[in-house]
Amino acid sequence: MNWLGAIRTATGGLLRHKMQAVVIGMVLLVSTASATLGFALLAASNAPFQHAFGAQRGADVTVTVNAARASSAELATTGRLAGVTAAAGPFAAATVQVQFGGQPFGPLTLAGRASPGGPVDDVVLNAGHWPDGPGQVVLDASPAPGGGGQGGGPQLGSTLSVTGVPGAPALVVVGFAISITNTADGWVAPGEIARLRVPGTPASAQMLYRFTSAGSYAQVRADAAEVTRALPPGTVTGAASWLAAEDATTGNGAIMEPFVVAFALIGLVMAVLIVGNVVSGAVVAGYHRIGVLKSIGLTPAQVVVVYLSRVGAPALAGCLAGVVAGNLLAVSVLQQSSAAYRVGSQQVPWWASVAAPAGMLALTALTALGPALRAGRLSAAEAIAAGRAPRAGRGYAAHRLAARLHLPRPVGLGLAAPFARPARTLVSLAAIAFGATAVIFAFGLHSSLSRAAASQTLSATVPVQIQVVGLGAGPQQWPDAAQDAAVTAALRAQPGTRHDVAVYQGQVKTPGIAQSVSAQAFGGDTSWIGYGIISGHWYNAPGEVDVNTAFLTQSGLAVGDTATVLTGTHPVTVRIAGEVFQPSGQPELFGSAQTLPGLATTVNLQEYYVGLRSGTSAAAYIQAVNARLGSRSPWGATGPEGGQFYQIASALIGLLALMVAVAAGLGVLNTVLMTTRDRVHDLGIFKALGMRPGQMLTMVVCWIAGPAVIAAMIAAPAAVALNTATLHAMASTAHTGIPASFTQVFPPSRLALLSLAALAIAAAGALLPAGWAARARPARALRAE
Amino acid sequence: MRQQSVPAAGNGDVIRLDGVTKTYQAGPPALADVSMSVAAGEVVAVMGPSGSGKSTLLNLIAGLDRPTAGTVTVAGRRIDTIGESALARFRARHVGIVFQFFNLLDDLTVEDNVLLPAQLAGASGKQARARAGELLARMGIEQHKNAYPARLSGGQRQRVAIARALVNSPELLLADEPTGALDTASGLQIGALLRELNADGQTLVLVTHDSALAGRYAARTVRLVDGQLAGAGVEVTV
Repeated sequence: MNWLGAIRTATGGLLRHKMQAVVIGMVLLVSTASATLGFALLAASNAPFQHAFGAQRGADVTVTVNAARASSAELATTGRLAGVTAAAGPFAAATVQVQFGGQPFGPLTLAGRASPGGPVDDVVLNAGHWPDGPGQVVLDASPAPGGGGQGGGPQLGSTLSVTGVPGAPALVVVGFAISITNTADGWVAPGEIARLRVPGTPASAQMLYRFTSAGSYAQVRADAAEVTRALPPGTVTGAASWLAAEDATTGNGAIMEPFVVAFALIGLVMAVLIVGNVVSGAVVAGYHRIGVLKSIGLTPAQVVVVYLSRVGAPALAGCLAGVVAGNLLAVSVLQQSSAAYRVGSQQVPWWASVAAPAGMLALTALTALGPALRAGRLSAAEAIAAGRAPRAGRGYAAHRLAARLHLPRPVGLGLAAPFARPARTLVSLAAIAFGATAVIFAFGLHSSLSRAAASQTLSATVPVQIQVVGLGAGPQQWPDAAQDAAVTAALRAQPGTRHDVAVYQGQVKTPGIAQSVSAQAFGGDTSWIGYGIISGHWYNAPGEVDVNTAFLTQSGLAVGDTATVLTGTHPVTVRIAGEVFQPSGQPELFGSAQTLPGLATTVNLQEYYVGLRSGTSAAAYIQAVNARLGSRSPWGATGPEGGQFYQIASALIGLLALMVAVAAGLGVLNTVLMTTRDRVHDLGIFKALGMRPGQMLTMVVCWIAGPAVIAAMIAAPAAVALNTATLHAMASTAHTGIPASFTQVFPPSRLALLSLAALAIAAAGALLPAGWAARARPARALRAE
Repeated sequence: MRQQSVPAAGNGDVIRLDGVTKTYQAGPPALADVSMSVAAGEVVAVMGPSGSGKSTLLNLIAGLDRPTAGTVTVAGRRIDTIGESALARFRARHVGIVFQFFNLLDDLTVEDNVLLPAQLAGASGKQARARAGELLARMGIEQHKNAYPARLSGGQRQRVAIARALVNSPELLLADEPTGALDTASGLQIGALLRELNADGQTLVLVTHDSALAGRYAARTVRLVDGQLAGAGVEVTV
């Protein structure tokens, strides 16, 4: 018989263990699918931005200067400062109020540039041509105020009118371009800026820099400070970081990445444990076989290959199925994420489909190698003599103790049994602990995300919103004052109305933040709305505002600081009262209509938030309001919208937790199965002595009950810690802090209840082999050794 | 040696087999159309060469296995038709089994081994402990009650196994080669012990290769050859 032929023959018998093959395959399926998904989300999260940032030589820092304070030569010298690797500018710039189609199109920062290219911020022209004369503008095609470049917004040839400037100059859209770092909302010919500047405002310009170190907001601020110091005092009026652009571009897949990675790691560790356990079990159970194989001439190397091949086929099948499952999951998640947030098509990179299974297979091979080498090293005589009984003396004390306890005998026998094979018991314990951790973690994360969703969409406090759903009677078919008044009357007429408040929305500018700030002004009491407060408090006095984390990060301001807000009419100085949970790369600001009067205008009236009295049905209320408003009203009542991310994330969490729990259950099944085979003769004796099937079932399930209880005690705190860490990682990825209440989702009673997951996994895994043991005929069990 | 042409039967039978056949997946039947009975208080030896069906017969009487055809009645109850739980309960209360290789549980002490059938049958702890103590004393191994089986001699282990088999005071004691794994002296002691038990009224079925043992202790011998009673329905009594 040749070398491989001997292995084929020897392996034939081993492949009869179908259940172990299924366990290995399933565990690797779960791990590989999680790993593939994790890689895909990782790639989708920031790779496109990084690639484009490098290709377009994005600006690390965009510095806005008062052109009256420094000459062009002085500005140019900053390009030679230590740490500056490239600089461009100065480009004359102006922030202008623009209308499109008679509607406010928000404030736009326009830069005067002769061409799109340059050593920094090589703007990519997507459509049209670069402005080559007065009255022309190229708009940033990335999402901009009013949806520039998107359906419903300006098209090539559209005309924008600049308000607040004598003559209301018109700008024809001649192109669309992308600046990877959002240095401006649009570009005009250099000479055009002077004509567009609001009279009385200082001349402004921008300088664009790339630095050797600009990896964090702190480094970027230090770089900007270096430039500020090099120029006359008062020259620098603001500095914007490339990180803000990256934040805005980063897809929601990135936010899911921390928990996908957490599940992937759990799956990975479980795969190692279970594969190791299966192969070790195979070696131990197969001692006699090893002895026979060696006695008929198999070499140690052949024995090693035999045992590796026992794992290899199911592992390969599991990994391949895992890649397919991971791709299906990733494609689904990325598609949903793209559709929900219109961030464009995202693909699963080919390397994810190679790296995940290859890594898992390598890991499996390494895990299996130890026990396989042990099998190879055993001498034939040792192997035949060793048999498969556990080492004598192990677990005797536990049995003695269990016999003294006033427990039903099958329970006592079951609880003491794991001590006979401590290593195997530890592996089972670990598998259950990981599985239970995943389940508890999933429930906790779901609760945390539900709170985040409720806080972000206001679904818990604002069950009804009144929004524009049709054409109004005002200019450009926007609702007129009478139609607005009808809404207020309709709301006041409803007995279920507890609160209502008008919400004005628009874009404002704040020095220090390059992009526009999304602002909401509320016309009434808002103390009931229930935004999640990360720090500070919800505004309760004129002049106070709340902001999101992106605002604080990009501006470098903190709660309690003051900021200047340009609302379009005049600058307003506001005090930041609190940081609210609004995860976004876009800076956001919230204040009263009194604090932000420039924003609280009829044209900015976006919607009404409505709070209902207790016991009022939101659906009935919406129906009643819509009936009262009538079909001709441009306004209509709807339920809360948004939260797609949370739905996608919750579904994914549920699926991953289920997969890990199933893998853990299979790990338990494998262990109990191996123990059942080891102890089949003892089981026969128990039956011969009168142990009933129910008692047998109880005893076998109790084999794993003790480890399950310990696993639950480990899993509960582990899941709490994992949930907190994951939420903070997700929040960090989403560029937001989180209110403390989001992590406080495990009251002791719920945690205790969730800990039962460990027992459920153990029982589910043990029931099948326990059932087999219970049904086995005593005579057959006594014969089987 | 005398031969009976009529099987022992009657209302006092502890065991009654009628036309019992046991067939495994392949090959000829392990038992073919066996009918026999054992009266209360009898000692019957079942003899035959290896593969003759002795252990299969014992398994069927003990309810450890089910016949392919025929009926098995033990202690007045048909056990070939009852469910597994009822069968286990029946076994615990009415049948004690002694195995050739003792089949003690290595991780339980002597006392816990003896107590186990009583505990499985739901006996009260105090009563069971008293009964176990009584049996261990009778077997002469009381001093080893806290020892583990591995530390005992073969003869001592078989005494433990007998004590365990008797702890629930079964009507029927089945012994499968009870001296087969023992030295001569120990075998004689175990034989004497079994005879004492029978003298106290214990019904006993011995499966053995040992014709001397059968001759010395059994009132009647049933011989099996190729799964059939020797002489087809004829019982052989020593």
